[in-house]
Amino acid sequence: MTTTFANLTAFVLLLTITAYSVAGGVDYGAGIWDMLAGRSPTAERARQLIDHAMAPVWEANNVWLVLAIVICWAGFPMLFQSVFASLYPLFSVALLALILRGAFFAFRHVQGGPRAQRWMGVVFGISSLLAPFFFAAALGAIASGQVAVGAPHVSVWQACFNPASISFGLVSLAATAFIGASFLVGDARRFGQADMVDYFRRRAVISTAVLIVIGTVALAVIGLENRPLLNAMLTGLGTPFAAAAVILTPVVGFLLWRRVFRWYRTLSVVVVGSLVFAWGFGQSPYLLPGQLTITQSAAPLGTEVLLSIVTLAVVVLILPSLALLVYLDQRGELESPQA
Amino acid sequence: MHLLTLVAAESALLPSRIQMAFTLAYHVILVPLGVAFPAYTLLMEGIGIFKKDAAAIRIARRWSVVMAVQFAVGAVTGTILSFEFGILWPKLMGRFGAALGMGFAIEGLAFFLEAIFIGIYLYGWTRLRPRTHFLLGLALPPAGVLGTVSVLATNAFMNTPGGVTLGSSGEVTSVDVLGALFTRALAYEFWHFLIAIYITAGFIVASIYAVAWLRGRRDHYQRLAFAIPFTVAALLTPVELVVGDLSARALVADQPAKFAAMEVTWKTRSHNPEVIGGLLTDSGQVNFGLSIPSFDSILIGLSPDTVAPGLTSVPATARPTIAEANITHLAFDAMVGLGSAGVALALWYFVVLMYRRRLPQSRWFYGAASLAGIGSYAAVEAGWATTEVGRQPWIVYNLMRVSDAVTSAPGAVVWSMLSVLIVVYAAFAVIAVTLLLRLAGRWREDAIDTPGAPEAGVPYGPPSERLAADAPGRVKQGISGTVQVIIAAVLALLGLGIVIALVIALSLVGLGAAARRFIGRFTRSSST
Repeated sequence: MTTTFANLTAFVLLLTITAYSVAGGVDYGAGIWDMLAGRSPTAERARQLIDHAMAPVWEANNVWLVLAIVICWAGFPMLFQSVFASLYPLFSVALLALILRGAFFAFRHVQGGPRAQRWMGVVFGISSLLAPFFFAAALGAIASGQVAVGAPHVSVWQACFNPASISFGLVSLAATAFIGASFLVGDARRFGQADMVDYFRRRAVISTAVLIVIGTVALAVIGLENRPLLNAMLTGLGTPFAAAAVILTPVVGFLLWRRVFRWYRTLSVVVVGSLVFAWGFGQSPYLLPGQLTITQSAAPLGTEVLLSIVTLAVVVLILPSLALLVYLDQRGELESPQA
Repeated sequence: MHLLTLVAAESALLPSRIQMAFTLAYHVILVPLGVAFPAYTLLMEGIGIFKKDAAAIRIARRWSVVMAVQFAVGAVTGTILSFEFGILWPKLMGRFGAALGMGFAIEGLAFFLEAIFIGIYLYGWTRLRPRTHFLLGLALPPAGVLGTVSVLATNAFMNTPGGVTLGSSGEVTSVDVLGALFTRALAYEFWHFLIAIYITAGFIVASIYAVAWLRGRRDHYQRLAFAIPFTVAALLTPVELVVGDLSARALVADQPAKFAAMEVTWKTRSHNPEVIGGLLTDSGQVNFGLSIPSFDSILIGLSPDTVAPGLTSVPATARPTIAEANITHLAFDAMVGLGSAGVALALWYFVVLMYRRRLPQSRWFYGAASLAGIGSYAAVEAGWATTEVGRQPWIVYNLMRVSDAVTSAPGAVVWSMLSVLIVVYAAFAVIAVTLLLRLAGRWREDAIDTPGAPEAGVPYGPPSERLAADAPGRVKQGISGTVQVIIAAVLALLGLGIVIALVIALSLVGLGAAARRFIGRFTRSSST
């Protein structure tokens, strides 16, 4: 009984992490492209588009993050303690990046001349890079098996920065740029800006290639440095998801290269989702590989049941309301940013 | 090695406590605006719709923009708080997460609902029919109440833990969901805090328009925007006095050391004086205070013979230190003093309203009213300080010490994080205030029926609705009227249902317990 509910909670936790990776990825990705745009009239147009696309969801993505945190500490208290005791440096940097990003995105709208705006943009861009890197590095550190139950058994430094965590962080950066560009293509199309469609289409194709290269290198590094992790990734429950990511990433790149503006956004969501699922299912039934299983870490039955009820409430209450919000958003947003 | 970790843990304790206090105190500023302000906005919108008052609609719409700005900041500071439980207090969550975390899980749901419905509320001004917009907005106050009750359930568990079975090493082995969520302190903490933030939101909004009145802006718009929130808040102040009194009295049984610290009582005794102000010294003397003989005993049990608990009734290692007791006491006095000032102001208002049949005209009144918002905020912060500092040295009362919950990270890490946070939070304050001042400046120049959107220039919510004014046909693009009404009705009913169920449950649990305790004490003290 407890096992069933604990597995359900673990799955919900994985879903919220996935939702944050996708929603946050689109958002952080836009921030990365904002920073990489450089200084030219075209770059300014790109920035305007990014601003316009991001404004409605500014900081709303944090709800997924908060949801993941609360599910983790209520459902798997010992996992929560262990992860934070070992990986607090990663989370501290990610958190600071997250708030700096929010602050400077807002600041840019409120204050300053062109120069101040530029350096605020730089802070905004750098924090858009740091957050996805460090959040994903935390997942990599967990996968590497360096997080011990309770207090850390290796130095915090070693737990945080090892081949697996850095590989995860880099793959996450590439995937974030990839999904960000893919969605900006969609936004540019929605606002009817043909040059911007092409601008972000090129960047999406390039980031597809980068993602493939970094992904391959990351796999090779993990294979050399952490054989058990590679084996787990290639033979466990996560394998189909890993395969899906490997197959679908080039498909998205191909679609955008050939200007087929169909399915590319859905597929890039599937790619990012598959990457997260490959990690999560890959290490199941372990939450901390080799040390702590889902059942071992599960909170008593009462708490797990309550979490299921909360999940049900999210499905019943949140999804319809979210659908309404998105509907209202898309309804009134047919104007171009220049209008 | 063991000694080394001990030293490291010691050095992280102080910065961790400061950081938690700082980020919580900051977040609490946003809570009244997030939880209670939507209710005032809806009240205003309701008046606008049902009395066909364009000014009221305009006010509601402008308030909703303020709501959005504060929500964006609150979303960030709230996210930081949730991470801090892991970064600063990992062992607290490791041991009690199964119980403490439940409240927060429900809060996660409520936060999500709020985020979505604030979005819908903002987007809906031009895209929904007025009544539908209003009905959908009705989901906001219940979501806020749900969030409040769940966060307070967590805090109440820290004050009066219950509903869990502990194993031999203190770990939670089983959880009684309702028992752990509805612990004894929840009923009084919930009502006390909920009313406090409704008062604070009402007074802070009204105080803006009180300043406007002093500066000579006294038209229908200004008077409406002042009177509605001020009246609601003023009506609530006497209620808060009663609820606050019940809460304080419940502490005699629930947390005697906290109560003793609030009243700086050293030794348990009858005929205990009520000390206002003053500082407790190491020897148990109180210096500089104004002492009212036997009044504390009378307040607790209606008789000077009632025995008041003293700090020394609890071992020195299990009660607040002298410094903490003094902070608790002064914070408590500040809260009670400010609360009483609020009641006096409310009385002034209602006397004028009843005998003159109009709003007060005195500059003194508006001077006082313009301070009411800040005063309420000070009272809320003082109340938090009372309950948190008064619980020391415990993080979970009598079960886990703050020092046992703190991270084993080096103190330097926490100190540096704290300094960055202070800088960033200051930046947030600057952003929010600049933005609001700029909006206020622009709104002052706009006539009530200008087509310009009050939202323009806010980095949150729908980008702009300039096009709606250019092309009025767009408004009709929305969902069909029937579907709108159905969706709105279902969501509003769900929301209201949650609140009604909560209110009934909490009233039964809380008032029943408070009444039993009160009657019990009364019979005890009269029988002796």
